[in-house]
Amino acid sequence: MGLPDASGDLSSEMEVDAFRRLFPLRYFERHLSESIRPDARPLGRARDTTLALGAVASAHGSALAKIGSTTMLAAIKMEVMTPSTESPDEGSIAIDFHMPPICSPIVRPGRPAEAAPVISKQLSDTISSSGMINLKELSLVSGKAAWMAYLDIYCLDADGALFDAALLSAVAAFSHLQIPIVSLNDDGKIELISEEDDGAKLEVEPVNKEKRKLTLSSIPFSLTCILHKNYILADPTAEEESIMETAVTVVLDSSSRLVSFYKPGGPVLAHTSAVQDCVALTRQRVKELQNILDETLSGMEID
Amino acid sequence: MVGLSLGEKHFIQGGIDQNLRSDGRKRDTYRPISVETGVIPQANGSARIRIGATEVIASVKAELGRPNALQPDKGKVSIFVDCSPVAEPMFEGRGGEELSTELSVALQRCLLGGKSGAGAGIDLSSLIVAEGKICWDLYIDGLVISSDGNLLDALGAAIKAALSNTGIPRVQVAAGASGDEQPEVDISDEEFMQFDTSGIPVIVTLTKVGRHYIVDATSEEESQMSSAVSVSINRKGHICGLSKRGSAGLDPSVISDMISVARHISEQLINKLDSEISAAEADEDEM
Amino acid sequence: MAAQGGAAPSTYTPTPTKKTQRSPFFSDSDVDWLRPDGRGFHQCRPAFFRTGAVNSAAGSAYAEFGNTKVIVSVFGPRESKKAMVYSDVGRLNCNVSYTTFANPARGLGSDNKEFSSMLHKALEGAIMLETFPKTTVDVFALVLESGGSDLPVVISCASLALADAGIMMYDLVAGVSVSCLGRNLIIDPILEEESFQDGSMMITCMPSRYEVTQLTITGEWSTAKLNEAMQLCLDACSKLDKIMRACLEEAASASQD
Repeated sequence: MGLPDASGDLSSEMEVDAFRRLFPLRYFERHLSESIRPDARPLGRARDTTLALGAVASAHGSALAKIGSTTMLAAIKMEVMTPSTESPDEGSIAIDFHMPPICSPIVRPGRPAEAAPVISKQLSDTISSSGMINLKELSLVSGKAAWMAYLDIYCLDADGALFDAALLSAVAAFSHLQIPIVSLNDDGKIELISEEDDGAKLEVEPVNKEKRKLTLSSIPFSLTCILHKNYILADPTAEEESIMETAVTVVLDSSSRLVSFYKPGGPVLAHTSAVQDCVALTRQRVKELQNILDETLSGMEID
Repeated sequence: MVGLSLGEKHFIQGGIDQNLRSDGRKRDTYRPISVETGVIPQANGSARIRIGATEVIASVKAELGRPNALQPDKGKVSIFVDCSPVAEPMFEGRGGEELSTELSVALQRCLLGGKSGAGAGIDLSSLIVAEGKICWDLYIDGLVISSDGNLLDALGAAIKAALSNTGIPRVQVAAGASGDEQPEVDISDEEFMQFDTSGIPVIVTLTKVGRHYIVDATSEEESQMSSAVSVSINRKGHICGLSKRGSAGLDPSVISDMISVARHISEQLINKLDSEISAAEADEDEM
Repeated sequence: MAAQGGAAPSTYTPTPTKKTQRSPFFSDSDVDWLRPDGRGFHQCRPAFFRTGAVNSAAGSAYAEFGNTKVIVSVFGPRESKKAMVYSDVGRLNCNVSYTTFANPARGLGSDNKEFSSMLHKALEGAIMLETFPKTTVDVFALVLESGGSDLPVVISCASLALADAGIMMYDLVAGVSVSCLGRNLIIDPILEEESFQDGSMMITCMPSRYEVTQLTITGEWSTAKLNEAMQLCLDACSKLDKIMRACLEEAASASQD
């Protein structure tokens, strides 16, 4: 958008915009043949990524992740539940992904986006199968009480690669999570111990003095790529996703082991070599994301 | 929806300018109000109000419930309005939903006071049976049967009449229940408590058409409004709630002016309503 | 593992051990009680606005007043989704929803119908609907975190988002609310103050035109108090208007560079 410069060549400016709208695929292919994308990125480069922790004061852990314009806000609230009889020493995690109407022109109130439940399921599967969280750490009193971590992720701006941004915000929220200190009262209910009492004489014995932070092992990170002809485009924007429909999402953990792999249909059938290229791109990206997360976390500690 | 020709619109607006409305009323005159109480035998209290061709019914149902943990010394009241398709074909299905919600919210705002319960027309602490444990929950339902403008004022009056018609059974709380236990209760079917309805406000809606504002607008007049202000005022002359409708902005001084006019009109309306309600109750007793 | 399939177990939020006698942080007799965040009675929270928060929307704005955090996106003018009759003026469609973590206790994150209709009423008088006939402008708000005075913040933020989207308006709309606690009027109340309030007033107005687009009052008010509260709100609205205009000017000069 934006009006063309008065000094610039008005007619050529109009033509490019019109060409982009009328023949989007040709417009993109013209770029791809020069090994560049319309936003000036090389094919294999992801957009700038930023992370901020503790954005939501009312939650126990929260994070805001931005990949290009795609923005995700994740927040965790801890509640207490009675663990199931099969696993009396384990807590639980419930993950929900929301696409409110503010995030994209295609979502309207009362008509939820089709993508939201799919991403929700992928996130739960990925986080549970990666073994990042040891559910035993969420136990409070064996067989009686355990934590239920409600993770809600809101997409604030949808501009492609939603799963990547959602997963990044989810792992960052878990790294930021600070579990409240609680104790067991006489009625078998869990109660909060206020922060001011911390360190001072405690009338009641806290049940989770050591377990304030989760130890996250093998954190999963992901990269979505678009396959089009022989090109592989890393970290697509919403426009790229809508024009070229074959997407591949690779999830690797911090030691480069494959956690999940999604290729939900699409007109392009991927060669093994293309899949290997996607994995290689993801391996690079995981290093970048791991660095971003580490830097953000160490930034928090200094504060 | 009211479809009016240009001529009819001019006629209505011109009449209001000259203080002579199409039905012969002045700008600050109400249509005749008639009140009938006890129209729904199953309810604890009910009333039907007719203002001109507008007709509404309000009913009050009382049930025993548990008070809110934040306000253990107060009962709970909920108000809900339904617009019957009988009144207007467009209320069919979900068509009346928007108006119903708007009216319900406006009535709650006008009658239930602030969050702490202060300023409520209905004395919420009179609904308590056992503090923190048992209270009366009042379910007030309004039904629009025929709609010819000024629904909010009519519903407000109907609720006031229905509440003064309401008898709540006296409740004996069995002693001996201790701690967190819910005590047993004995509901009397002979003795009834009456409500003190003197504090319940009336709602006066001033509708702005052109440069003037009128009371008790018909739907034809409402279709010509630029904005309307509904003020709920109690006997003491205090404002108990206010909501504004219509898109046009109003100068703050005009609003202050409208509030003082509404206060003046409310005095007459309260007296008129009280005498109508007591006449209706007397009628009912005779039967 | 995660709670999928089968009924989710019932959970509860742990309550504090010490039953803090629910803070009577003010009382009727005490005139000089302190507000929880240390503000004066007639002092608003610092307001922060930023336009262009959501790239995929035609216009958007983010507002932060203390812990109240709101995003509003504007889409359109675009085709009306509901098959409706021809209209020579545009339609305004508003929706306000909350996140599940907006409130201290985890909620369901549902739409707020009452706020949606209030937002509509507050804005419709300020928008030149005749400039986009047959089409709809959608104004969607998401309350990320609720910290009190949510609705006035949503309304102010929405009018900035409309301006950012280039929708023609007569004026910006600024919203301010006042709570009545005991004998005192406090402006821009936080969540805790709102839950104790005896009465409240919310004014949304077009500050340059000095016109009130929406006014709601709850609780019992005397005339003197009513006038005082109205003046308080109107003064705060015109201050808020300056901050909102500064935000727009900043965005405009940044895009020129």
